[in-house]
Amino acid sequence: MDTLVAELVQATVKRPAADQDAGLLAECARGKTRAFHLLVEKYKRRAYYVALGLVGSHDDAWDLSQEAFIRVWKGRRRFDPARPFWPWFYAVLANLCKNCLRDREVRVRHAEEVRSREEGRRTALGNPEAILHETETQKRVWDGIQKLPFKFREIIILRHFQDMCYEDIAQQLGIPEGSVMSRLFHARKKLREILEGPEQGVR
Amino acid sequence: MSDKDKLAREVSRYVDGLMSSAEEREFLQLIERDSELKAELAAQRKLKEVTDGMNLVQLPDKIWDGYWKGIYRQIERGAGWLFLSAGLIILLSFGAFHFTSDFLLNPEEPLIARLGMGVGALGIIILLVSIARERYFARRHERYEEVER
Repeated sequence: MDTLVAELVQATVKRPAADQDAGLLAECARGKTRAFHLLVEKYKRRAYYVALGLVGSHDDAWDLSQEAFIRVWKGRRRFDPARPFWPWFYAVLANLCKNCLRDREVRVRHAEEVRSREEGRRTALGNPEAILHETETQKRVWDGIQKLPFKFREIIILRHFQDMCYEDIAQQLGIPEGSVMSRLFHARKKLREILEGPEQGVR
Repeated sequence: MSDKDKLAREVSRYVDGLMSSAEEREFLQLIERDSELKAELAAQRKLKEVTDGMNLVQLPDKIWDGYWKGIYRQIERGAGWLFLSAGLIILLSFGAFHFTSDFLLNPEEPLIARLGMGVGALGIIILLVSIARERYFARRHERYEEVER
């Protein structure tokens, strides 16, 4: 593990991020799992926390972020080294999260008992109580975020929890920077409406 | 783009603290004329204050140690299944070739037995093709249905 960390630090220090990723992916395309390991180490936390924001449960976020890496490995030969790695990876991850939420909705709609079983299955880390160091208000806001439509939840997570600038969000979502601003406005507005619903409200 | 849309964008920039002092002054003057947007701005600033204080709990390093292992195991198994499938296809093709040449087309074997085996084999092939096709379409449907970008 120490050697791996040293390799990762070396790769990170010497070259710009895009070049490092392109180099690692070129190695991956030749079937080098070591290079893929480095790529996973570099992005695993970011991938997990984005997924956690999008699906709201530890177990699902863990599985989905791993699945996204596996799909990247399977599609590694299709990657264009001229393009940055993260937006490509994010598109894969976001689609997996979207599918997961859709499946979850279908399950909940068709069988209430399945829902209670799912909740029972959650580990302590999957419990929303454990996701944030939170006050009551923060907990309500987190619950409100989980109720937002996907595209609004996505932009809130990227801006507030990934601390990304507009330019990076625009690149990641493949939309103009102006659309990022207006989507963010509508997402926050929607969140406020949710929070001002019955027995809610940011105090 | 309408003025309202432009202002909505500016609200985001203001809430995120991305305006210069001059821009801020100009923006606040503009927004004075729109009480609805002014109220929205106040609410969004409050919301931003709350979210700024929210931090995701960091998982312990011990948990992260298993992350790569989980991925590697699945990649390894994927490769295992691929080789196993390729091996089975080769073996089945070999078996099918000998079954056809040594049994089905062999005039020394009883016709009724050859006919029965031939029809049964055809049934198995149809079933396998049907299942493979169903799985292929299900996979394609699931993979691309939600892709927007």
